[in-house]
Amino acid sequence: MPFVAKRCGVQFCPPSIVLIYESNIKDTNKMRKRIIPVRNFSKCSDCCMAAERMKHHIRHRAYLESVSLGQLERLHIVLRDHMQGHSLEHTLASLRLDPEEDLNKLDDEELARKKAQMDKLFERNRRRKDDPDFVYDLEVEFKGEVAREPCSWDEEESDDGF
Amino acid sequence: MASDANGIPELDQDKYDADEQVKIICLGDSAVGKSKLMERFLIDGYRPQQLSTYALTLYKYNTTIDRKAVLVDFWDTAGQERFQSMHPSYYHKAHACIMVFDVQRKITYKNLTSWYTELREYRPEIPCVVVANKIDADMKVTQRNFNFAKKQGLPLYFVSAADGTNVVKMFKETIKMAMSYKQNSSDFMDEVMRELENFELEQNKDLSLQTAQEGLKPESPESV
Repeated sequence: MPFVAKRCGVQFCPPSIVLIYESNIKDTNKMRKRIIPVRNFSKCSDCCMAAERMKHHIRHRAYLESVSLGQLERLHIVLRDHMQGHSLEHTLASLRLDPEEDLNKLDDEELARKKAQMDKLFERNRRRKDDPDFVYDLEVEFKGEVAREPCSWDEEESDDGF
Repeated sequence: MASDANGIPELDQDKYDADEQVKIICLGDSAVGKSKLMERFLIDGYRPQQLSTYALTLYKYNTTIDRKAVLVDFWDTAGQERFQSMHPSYYHKAHACIMVFDVQRKITYKNLTSWYTELREYRPEIPCVVVANKIDADMKVTQRNFNFAKKQGLPLYFVSAADGTNVVKMFKETIKMAMSYKQNSSDFMDEVMRELENFELEQNKDLSLQTAQEGLKPESPESV
């Protein structure tokens, strides 16, 4: 890999993705900065498609090789949310998982963002059909009810009739 | 009310009265992994049917129980749960219920109470199981008691849609429960619903008679 991305971010005006990377060419190991303008992008654009376009862009793809598509998409989301007038705090919160948050209250897109975060863990722990150690009917016996400890989630029982 | 309950024109729910047809519904908050569980179970060629107008996904599953072919329809929500309540047609004629929560999010466990209350409003007798999903995220939860299941006398399964732990077991046992419920119970609510349906039909007949007499012909939107 000729370029290794170290950090990335956004610049709102004009909308761009900022990339700090290390160049392995000529063995200089110097940190460099590249500002990639985000063109043809509006508050109605599809962030996933825009991220894909950038990832495969003939002039940028070598620099973006070590940046995941998911991260590029999130950077585009930050830009688009800004165009829609959302605060940065709002956007960052929407990209973060908060176990206390009631996800039933979110709209489609907000929910999709949370699900994308959850999917990371899902994919990490996932056993696929074509994995060598895949077992379709995987049964695991856990401790019986009597041997299990009480759960803190049940503590406020009297309050809600649980 | 009863016609309301049946009110999905694409779906003839009367088929669930046939011996070899079973309807199992999934309940639970957004993002607890209901669809992922379905997909894990039906790993070989599941063919979901999206009914986006009704925020509903149907999965069909063919199996054999006691050497008899059985067709199971799994009803999964596609966002309808956001209203913390399901349309009556979702519960209509269901033979069993799979209630899911996410072991990483307490609120999804707490909300089981309201899901269960709503379920029992429509289906007071059907078998119901409680599913603690995403145990791969934190195996320690399997050492804890979740009192809700015990209190309601419901079986509790610790599962993971990601690594597959106990997913197939849970579905197979639920299908068995649904079948035995279907074979052994003359569900009181079913009887009531049937009565109401007939009642409604009578009423509709009167109404159409009346319109005919007044010379008003109801026009369907397509014909304009």
